[in-house]
Amino acid sequence: MQLTIITDLNKCVGCKSCQVSCKEHNTSGAFGPVPDESPYQDPDGMWWNRIVTMESGEYPNTSVLYLPKACMHCYDAPCVPVCPTGASYKREDNGVVLVDYDSCIGCQLCMWACPYGVREFDEEEGVVKKCTMCIDRIEDDSLPEKERQPACVQSCPTHARTFGDLDDPDSEVARLVQERQGFGLMPELGARPAVHYLPRRKAPSQVHPDELDIFMGERY
Amino acid sequence: MRPTPPLLILTIGQGLAGGIVLAFAFLKSLGGLSQSTAEALVIMALGTAFIGGVASFFHMHRLAAARYVLRRLKTSWLSREALTTGLFGGSLAILAVLTIFFGRAMMVSPGYWVWTWLCVATGLLAMWVTAMLYATIPAMLSWHGALTVLAFIMVGVLSGFGLAAIVAPLNATVWVAFLVLVVGTAIVKGMHWAHFAEARGKIRASTGTGLPFSPYRLQDTGTTKPPYRTQTQVWPVLSPGLRRTVMLAAAFLLFVVPLGLTLAQLLGGPSLLRFGVAVAAIGGVFLERWLFFGDATHSSRVFLSDEMAALPRVPLNTNRRPTRVP
Repeated sequence: MQLTIITDLNKCVGCKSCQVSCKEHNTSGAFGPVPDESPYQDPDGMWWNRIVTMESGEYPNTSVLYLPKACMHCYDAPCVPVCPTGASYKREDNGVVLVDYDSCIGCQLCMWACPYGVREFDEEEGVVKKCTMCIDRIEDDSLPEKERQPACVQSCPTHARTFGDLDDPDSEVARLVQERQGFGLMPELGARPAVHYLPRRKAPSQVHPDELDIFMGERY
Repeated sequence: MRPTPPLLILTIGQGLAGGIVLAFAFLKSLGGLSQSTAEALVIMALGTAFIGGVASFFHMHRLAAARYVLRRLKTSWLSREALTTGLFGGSLAILAVLTIFFGRAMMVSPGYWVWTWLCVATGLLAMWVTAMLYATIPAMLSWHGALTVLAFIMVGVLSGFGLAAIVAPLNATVWVAFLVLVVGTAIVKGMHWAHFAEARGKIRASTGTGLPFSPYRLQDTGTTKPPYRTQTQVWPVLSPGLRRTVMLAAAFLLFVVPLGLTLAQLLGGPSLLRFGVAVAAIGGVFLERWLFFGDATHSSRVFLSDEMAALPRVPLNTNRRPTRVP
């Protein structure tokens, strides 16, 4: 089993509700692992899920891409074998990559090894932390079954994110990846990320520079 | 990535100690090493190894878990580094005890000669393992490759040899060997810096985001400023001017000055010039190591800065008239 999150880049509108809900869920309660000592003074602290916004192309033919980026829970997670203490590990039963904070020495080698820059260093505790795929939610039997999914998936208003088992060919996520040519980031680095993205279906409409005045005149 | 002082001191100290021990073994095998010079060299090697070892503790941010550091010997180069550096330190400490407390009688025994070269072997092994730690990280594009290993070991040996020259008056044979080492290291380091430049150009939007359109501009990294505080694997890109200045200064101190002073020594210059070699080598290795960390390109930089403009790397046909775009 390999739990994963699939993001449809056609549906993501960059609202950052997944980013905020991740922060909210993982800072709440007595044992919330994300440090948030002074959220109103220092909003640039630790985020396990970041929405990267990029603009591509040249004016006037530009488009904007929103890329939710958290731990990819890679099949061959490069952060795991480099850890000297065994604090970073990949669960055999569901493929989620986790950190045992009690064994972490804070050497940050796993942060260098992660190709995606999704591990972050907690200066307060001196350990490295990352997305847990909300393991506390998905294994919480007291929650209704439909709520046993990561906070970022549940909060997405456009249902751009889908959670499931990538190794199960009958699952929704496996079907989406297969039918929509889902892709992982930086395949050349060999980490085999479990998290996939569904590509945008069509290119933005092309506007020739000579047509720009006509086009803008019609619109405004 | 951020060049933190513990990392700089740890790697430089280890290289210096390894180089000094190699110089010591070299001089011992050639003969003519006095008791006082031998003592000074082993103390110097032990001192630099000790400084590097102490710095390694500051590199860890949670010492409570340090007892688990050998758990992943099978896969982690950091576990192996802890083991091999410990072995090097231990064998060096025994060499120091033998040299200082058992004196000349011990120094002429074959066992001492064997132990000296064993120290060299553990020192080179420790340097190799440390270099492999950096060279085997595919995401750190600048470091990934055999050149990092070669450069790490050669720069370490060069700086250690240079420092050893302070207390050990070297003869012509050793100076010639040092000259060859300087030239060889300069070539390897030049290739290493070229690899760094190539790595900077590998940050491509198409693999980082799946975006087929290029170029792209980063509008938002997910927070209001780049997360360099919580993600130390990335660092603001060095300006070309700063990079060039540090590179030239490192090359001047690490290669040009030792080369010139060594040639002067060989041509009969005053032996005091060896102090210049040592000072230049130490200064050069600090700059070289700062650049090694500070100028390293991590693959996650694609999410934190715009893609660099890159011209085609194939030869262009300049004889054809440019195509007119309708």
